[in-house]
Amino acid sequence: MEMNRKLKFCLVVWGMLLALQLVGDAQTAQGAGQGSTGATVDVKIDNFSFSPATITIPAGTTVKWTNRDDIPHTVVNDDQKFASKALDTDEGYSYTFTKPGTYPYFCSIHPKMTGKVIVQ
Amino acid sequence: MSESDRRTLALAGANGVIQYDHNHDGIDRRGFLKCMAWAGAGAYCVMQGGVMRSFALGGLGGKNKEELKGELSFVQISDSHMGFSKPANPDVVATLQAAIDKINALPATPEFLLHTGDISHLSKAEEFDMVDQLLKNARVKDAFFVPGEHDVLNDDGKQYRERYGKNTQESGWYSFDKNGVHFIGLVNVMNLKAGGLGSLGNEQLEWMEDDVKHLSKSTPLIVFAHIPLWSVYPEWGWGTEDSTRALGYLKNFGSVTVLNGHIHQIMQKVEGNVTFHTAMSTAFPQPKPGTAPSPGPMKVPDNELRTVLGITDVNFVQGKHSLAVTDQTLA
Repeated sequence: MEMNRKLKFCLVVWGMLLALQLVGDAQTAQGAGQGSTGATVDVKIDNFSFSPATITIPAGTTVKWTNRDDIPHTVVNDDQKFASKALDTDEGYSYTFTKPGTYPYFCSIHPKMTGKVIVQ
Repeated sequence: MSESDRRTLALAGANGVIQYDHNHDGIDRRGFLKCMAWAGAGAYCVMQGGVMRSFALGGLGGKNKEELKGELSFVQISDSHMGFSKPANPDVVATLQAAIDKINALPATPEFLLHTGDISHLSKAEEFDMVDQLLKNARVKDAFFVPGEHDVLNDDGKQYRERYGKNTQESGWYSFDKNGVHFIGLVNVMNLKAGGLGSLGNEQLEWMEDDVKHLSKSTPLIVFAHIPLWSVYPEWGWGTEDSTRALGYLKNFGSVTVLNGHIHQIMQKVEGNVTFHTAMSTAFPQPKPGTAPSPGPMKVPDNELRTVLGITDVNFVQGKHSLAVTDQTLA
């Protein structure tokens, strides 16, 4: 009985998450249709890492990085296609990806910090 | 961390307790000679018979003047991070000033002051200005610098070189001689590659090879750079990818000392003819390698901060761990 209740609860939550995901996808897709005025996806910089480290987005999406660490970080594409200045705590940097491709990036101050944006 | 990296780590913990990192199995300690930890906002370094000894600035109380005498003495401070104001240390001005007070209380005036980088936190003019202003009150005859990664933000180090790089090459490397000792200041915080460590680069390495080529092998060498020139903890970027090549140029010298900052804690290791030292920060401590999710500033209770920075607590160091001795002949 107890198990059943837990299972039901899990199913309901899963269903809700699925619904949210669908709405999210729809919004992103809609944004992509409007070129660079598309949706914004957030990447958090925390504990010397990018989170999520890899994101997949439709072309036209803007990615916004925000530094939550006490130490400055940067967001620099390996091929220098985009590069932020040093971001102090709570400062952010946005870049709109218009062309499909894979964009690896890193923090040029702490190069062990790496991330990737995949634009479809 | 590799076996060899682990073998001589000793750290002053946040609570001021000295901890030796002996709890890793399978460690090859053949290279282990001496490893001691001390607390100090800076280090008093003295050349005695061609070998460098270093003392914590806060731990000199019990030393007599004779012990501190040598051919040459200087002080090393590091990682002032002027501009930092987060809870780990909301007053980096006061803690740098405390380090300067210690320098000014030394029984003999050091020949010069060496700052091993991260002078500023965000490479801002006002941050450099503040440090310059504070250092004006330090009773030293001269001052030398190398940049940390925080000193070259946004402008590839242009401002740093305008301020501190008058007689330096390219991104700011240089060498000089004092009282028979050859000093080499290296820059390993520029052009860092994704996923990589600190980097010296080919051009600087070639310069260095040429710089030491004509020296007598009995010349004592002191090499200083911001990021450690040995693999302290590569997982956190605490190492320099091409340091092996740099050290290779020095392998036939009898006495080589390497001074670094960056990791905000004291570590020492002796390997062959080379003694490695890292310095504490005058601003805030960082965790021991691998003991935290990231190397970010370590928050300690207010009443412990200066202990970790080693500024006020002379009693803590006196008689027990005040001394970082490198008294072996390095040949």
